[in-house]
Amino acid sequence: MEKKSSAKAKPSFEKALEELEKIAERLEDGSLGLEESIAEFERGTRLARYCREKLDEAERRIEILQKGENGSVEKRAVRVKQDTGEIDDDEDMQGSLL
Amino acid sequence: MSERTYSVSEITRMLKRSIEGNPEYTGVWVKGELSNVTYHSSGHIYFTLKDEQAVLSSAFFKYANKNLSFRLEEGMSVLALGSLTVYEKRGSYQFIVSQMRLEGIGELLKRIEQLKKRLIAEGAFDPSRKKVKPFLPRRIGVVTSPTGAAIRDIIKVAMRRFPNIEIVLAPAKVQGADAAASIVRALAELNRPAHGIDLIICGRGGGSFEDLMPFNEEPVVRAVLSSRVPVISAVGHQIDHPLTDDAADYAAPTPSAAAEIAVPVKSELIEEIDYLSIRAANALVSRLTGLGERLDSIAALRCFRNPREIVAMRELSLVDLEQRMTMALKEGISAGRERLLSLPDLYRLWKTETRSRRSRLELAWGAVDKLSPKGVLRRGYSLVTDARGRVIKTVKTIKPGESIGVMVADGSMGCTVNTVQREVRGGKEIIGKG
Repeated sequence: MEKKSSAKAKPSFEKALEELEKIAERLEDGSLGLEESIAEFERGTRLARYCREKLDEAERRIEILQKGENGSVEKRAVRVKQDTGEIDDDEDMQGSLL
Repeated sequence: MSERTYSVSEITRMLKRSIEGNPEYTGVWVKGELSNVTYHSSGHIYFTLKDEQAVLSSAFFKYANKNLSFRLEEGMSVLALGSLTVYEKRGSYQFIVSQMRLEGIGELLKRIEQLKKRLIAEGAFDPSRKKVKPFLPRRIGVVTSPTGAAIRDIIKVAMRRFPNIEIVLAPAKVQGADAAASIVRALAELNRPAHGIDLIICGRGGGSFEDLMPFNEEPVVRAVLSSRVPVISAVGHQIDHPLTDDAADYAAPTPSAAAEIAVPVKSELIEEIDYLSIRAANALVSRLTGLGERLDSIAALRCFRNPREIVAMRELSLVDLEQRMTMALKEGISAGRERLLSLPDLYRLWKTETRSRRSRLELAWGAVDKLSPKGVLRRGYSLVTDARGRVIKTVKTIKPGESIGVMVADGSMGCTVNTVQREVRGGKEIIGKG
C-alpha cells in the first residue's frame, strides 16, 4: 500500500521531463511491442501535459514581508516596473526592514 | 638672560636639527584618522592625521606612495610609518610618511581569516553539506535591501526568464553595524514553511570592503549554513568573495547572476516539452506505418494468392472491407507522416514564430490522435493480446483452449481460442483444435 501511494506522488518537473525524454527514446528505438508503445505514448502525453501545467502553476507575484502591529510578519503584494524591475510602491520600505 | 640673538632661520634650523636628529621622531608608527586628504597633481598626497586631541599634518610623497594598494579616504583609520621633519619656509613641522596600512581592515581581515579556518575545521563548507536547489523553484525568497539595485536586478532578470515567477522579498539592512542581525532575521523568516519558499537568494550589490562586511560575520554565515531552504549567495564583489559564498549552497558574483542560477528560462522548457512530444509522436507514427504495411501484405496474400480462403471466410465483402480499411489506414498514415516528417522544420520555425506555435502543435497532435491505435480500432480493427497482455503477432505461440483478450474501440473481451490455423504456402495447416 505504502509503495503504491509513494509511486502515485506527483513527480517533480525535472523528473517528469526526464521521463518524457526516456519515453521518446524508447519509442524511437523500436524495441517495444505495439501495446507497450501505445501505453508509453499515452504516458508521454500525460507527462507533457503535466509539465506544461507545472510551468503555469505559479502566479506572477512580487511580495514584501513586513512587520505587523503585534510583531507578526505580514506579506504585502507590490507592483513592479517590468522593464527595470523597480518596485513601484508608495510605502516607506526602509521602515519595513526585518 | 642671554644676549645672544638668533635670526628666524637660525632658530628654525636649530629646531629642525633637534627634531630630525632625534631617533624618537624617526621611523615611527603613528595611528590616526585621515582628514583633509588631497591628491596633488604631482602625485604627492597631503593629509592630516588626527585623533581626539591633536592633528598632525602629513605628506606621502610620490616615490613612497606608488605601491599603495588603496585610495586614501576621509575618516579611514590608518597606521602610518614615517619621520617628523620641520618645514622651515612655513615654520611648521610635518610627518613624512613612507608606508601606510589600513588599521581597521587589517584587524577585520585577520578576524575573517580566523573564522574561515574555524568553519573549515568544523566541516561547515564541505561539498557534501550543500543542498540541491529545485530545478523549477515554486517561490523564491530574497534577502536584501528593498531600495538597493540588487532587488531590482533580481526581479528584472527573473521575470524576463520566467514571466509568472513568484518572489517574496524579506527586506533587510545590508550594511552597517546592525545589518548582520537584520539579515539573520530575514533568513529565519523565509525559512518558515508557511511561506512556501523553496529557494533563497541572499545578498547585495557591490560595495567597499566594509560595506560587504555583514556577509563575513559569523551569525550571518551560520544562518546561511543552517537554512533549511537552499541558499544562493549573491554579493557583488570583484576580488575577495565573502564567507557567505562559502557557506551557501550556490554562489553568484552578482545578484543578476544569482537570478539566472535560480530561474530557468520558461520558453526554453516549453520548447523542450514540445520537442520531446513530437519525437514520441513521430516514433509512434513510424511504428503504425509498419503495422499498416503488414496488414496490407496480409490482405494481398488472402485475396490474390489464396482465393479459396475467400470462400472459407464465406464473406467476400469482408475482404473488400478489409482492403478498404487498409487503404484508408495507409492513406491516413502517409498524410500524417508527411506532416510529421516536416515537424523538425516546423519546430525550428516555431522558435522564431511563437504566436502560431501552439495552434500548429495542436494540428500535429490532431493528426497523431487520428493515427493512434485507438483511432485504428475505431475504424474496425481489433488488437489481440495473450494472457499476459502482449500483442499476439503469430499463431505459433497460441494453443487451443488458451485465454486471449480482444480489444476493440469501445472496450475489450476475454475469449478462448477454439482453433489455431497457420498460413503456409498453398494453404493452411491446422495446428490444433480445441
